[in-house]
Amino acid sequence: MSWELIRDILITTVPLLVIFPSLFAFTTWIERKALARIQNRIGPNKTGVPCTRISLFGLGQPAADGIKMLFKEDIVPKGADRLFHLLAPIVALIPAMLVLCFLPLEFPWAKFVQAPVQAFLLDGAVIFFFAITGLNTLAVFMAGWASRNKYSLLGGMRAIAQMVSYEIPLVLSAVVAVMAAGSLNAAELVESQKTFWFVFTPWGFAAFVIFFIAALAETNRSPFDLPEAESELIAGYFTEYSGFKFALFFLGEYIAMFAISGLAVVLFLGGGHLPFLPLENAWLSSAVFLTKIMGIIAVMIWLRGTLPRLRVDQLMAFAWKFLLPLSILNIFITGASIKLMATSTTYAQPGMFGKLIQDANLPTLALLWLGGIAILYGAAWWLDNLSRPTARPRQYQYAE
Amino acid sequence: MTEAAAFWILSAVAVASALVAVRKRNLVHGVFALLVFFAALAGHFLLLLAEFLAAAQVLVYIGAVGILLLFAVMLTERVTGEGRRIMIRGSIFGTLAAAAVFFVLIWPTLSMLKSPEKNTHALTTRELGERLMDPYAITLEILALLLTAALVGAVAIAQGRLDAPEKEEPK
Repeated sequence: MSWELIRDILITTVPLLVIFPSLFAFTTWIERKALARIQNRIGPNKTGVPCTRISLFGLGQPAADGIKMLFKEDIVPKGADRLFHLLAPIVALIPAMLVLCFLPLEFPWAKFVQAPVQAFLLDGAVIFFFAITGLNTLAVFMAGWASRNKYSLLGGMRAIAQMVSYEIPLVLSAVVAVMAAGSLNAAELVESQKTFWFVFTPWGFAAFVIFFIAALAETNRSPFDLPEAESELIAGYFTEYSGFKFALFFLGEYIAMFAISGLAVVLFLGGGHLPFLPLENAWLSSAVFLTKIMGIIAVMIWLRGTLPRLRVDQLMAFAWKFLLPLSILNIFITGASIKLMATSTTYAQPGMFGKLIQDANLPTLALLWLGGIAILYGAAWWLDNLSRPTARPRQYQYAE
Repeated sequence: MTEAAAFWILSAVAVASALVAVRKRNLVHGVFALLVFFAALAGHFLLLLAEFLAAAQVLVYIGAVGILLLFAVMLTERVTGEGRRIMIRGSIFGTLAAAAVFFVLIWPTLSMLKSPEKNTHALTTRELGERLMDPYAITLEILALLLTAALVGAVAIAQGRLDAPEKEEPK
C-alpha cells in the first residue's frame, strides 16, 4: 500500500464526507424554516452566534440540535437486542454514505489525483447504486426488530413492504435513461446529456416523475412516511432510539435523500451541465450539480408541507397498479422512439442520443413527442380509471 | 500485497460469518450473519475484477434473498430463545452429502489450477452484456416471460380463494 494511493483515496473521499453532512445541517434548517412558513409559523429564529445576540435567522439551530443530540442519554429498552440496537443506525448510515461516491462529482481538486480512484469510473455504477441503496431496508428491519416494541416492528415491516414495492418502478424508470444513454456508467450518462437533457423528452419526463415519486417512497419522505407515521406508530422503527443513535438515523435518512436526488440529476437532469449549455469548468459544474440536488430536496420539503399521508392499501395499489405498468409501458415507448429515430443500426453507443436528436428531422421529432405524450397521458388516465371502481372506502373491522 | 491482505481479511470474515450463521440459535442473528457472508463474497468478486458479478451478488443475495429470509423468519414461531435446538439426528448423512457437494465444486478448480494463467483483462459490464445478450437474448426473454406468467398465476391462485366468498354475497 503506497502513500500515493492513500493520499489519492483521501483526496477523493474526504470532500464527500465533509460536503454532504454540512449540506445535511443546512437542509434541516431550510426544512424547519420552510415548513414553518407553510404552516404560518416563524420557525427557529433565536439561535445564532453563541454568546451574542446575533441570531442570523436561526442559522445556529443545526449546531444546537447536534450538541443536544450528543449529550442526551442513550436509552436501550429492557429486553431489546443490544447488539442489533447499536448496529442498526450504523448499518443505516454506511450504505447511504457509500453510494455518494458513485455520483460523478468532478471536484476541481481531483486533478491532483494520480490514479483514477473515483468510483464512478466503474462501468456498472448505476447497478451498484441500486444494489447498495437496497441495504437501507435491512437497517430499518434491524431497528424495528431489535427494539422489541410493537410500534417499532410494525414500522419496520411497513418500511420493508414499501421499499420492496417502490424499488421496482424506481429501477424501471432509471432503465429509460440507461437505454437512451447506452451506458450504465454515471460519467457517460452525464456526458450523453451534455446538450440535451433526458427530461426534455416525453418518456424521459414521465420516467423522471415516476423516479421522483418512487424516490420519495424509498427515502420514507412524506407523503410516503408510513413507516414513521407519528399519529399511528409514534415514530415507527425509531421509536426506541434516543440521543446520538437517533441523530445517526436522521443523518442517514438525509444522506440517502441527497444520494437519490443526485442519481436523479445524473439520470435525467444532465449532471453538472446547464440546459443546452455544457459547462467545462470543474468549480462551476460541481456547484451546478449540488444546486440541482438542493432544488430536488426543496421540492421534497414543499411536498412534505403540502400533502397528507397515504393509507397502506393506497400505497400498495399505487405502486403495483399504477407506477409499475406505466413504467413498463414507458420502456417500450423509449425503445420504439430510439428505434424510429436511429436511421442506421448502430444503437446503444455512449453519447448516441445527442447525435440522434441533432440528425433527426423535425416532423419525425414532433410526431414522436406528440405521440409519446398522448400515449403516456392516455395510459395514465386509463390506469387511474381502471383501479378507481375497485377502490372502496376503508372498512373498519374493530371500530365504528 | 494489498490484494493478498484484502483476500485474507475477506476470507476470514466469510468463514467466521458462515460459522455464526450455522451455529447461532437466534434465527435473525443467523440471517444477518449469512448476509455478512454474502457481502464478503461480493468483496471477493470485486477482487477478481468481476464488478458486475459483485453488484449482482449484493442486489440479488443481500437485497432480495435476505429480505425473503427475514419474511420467512418472521412467519415462524419462536425466533429466539434457548429452547430452540439444532437437530442432530441424521447428521452423518448430512455431512456426507455436504462433503460430496464440496468435492464436486472443488474438483474442477483443483484440476484447472495446474496451469495458472494470469488473466489481467477485466471484463467490463458492457462486454459481459454483449456476450450474454447477443446470442441468448431470445432465450432470456422467453425465460423472463415464463417466470412472469408463473408469478401472475401464483397471484391469481392466491387471490381466487379470497374472492370466492365475495361472489356468493347477494347484491
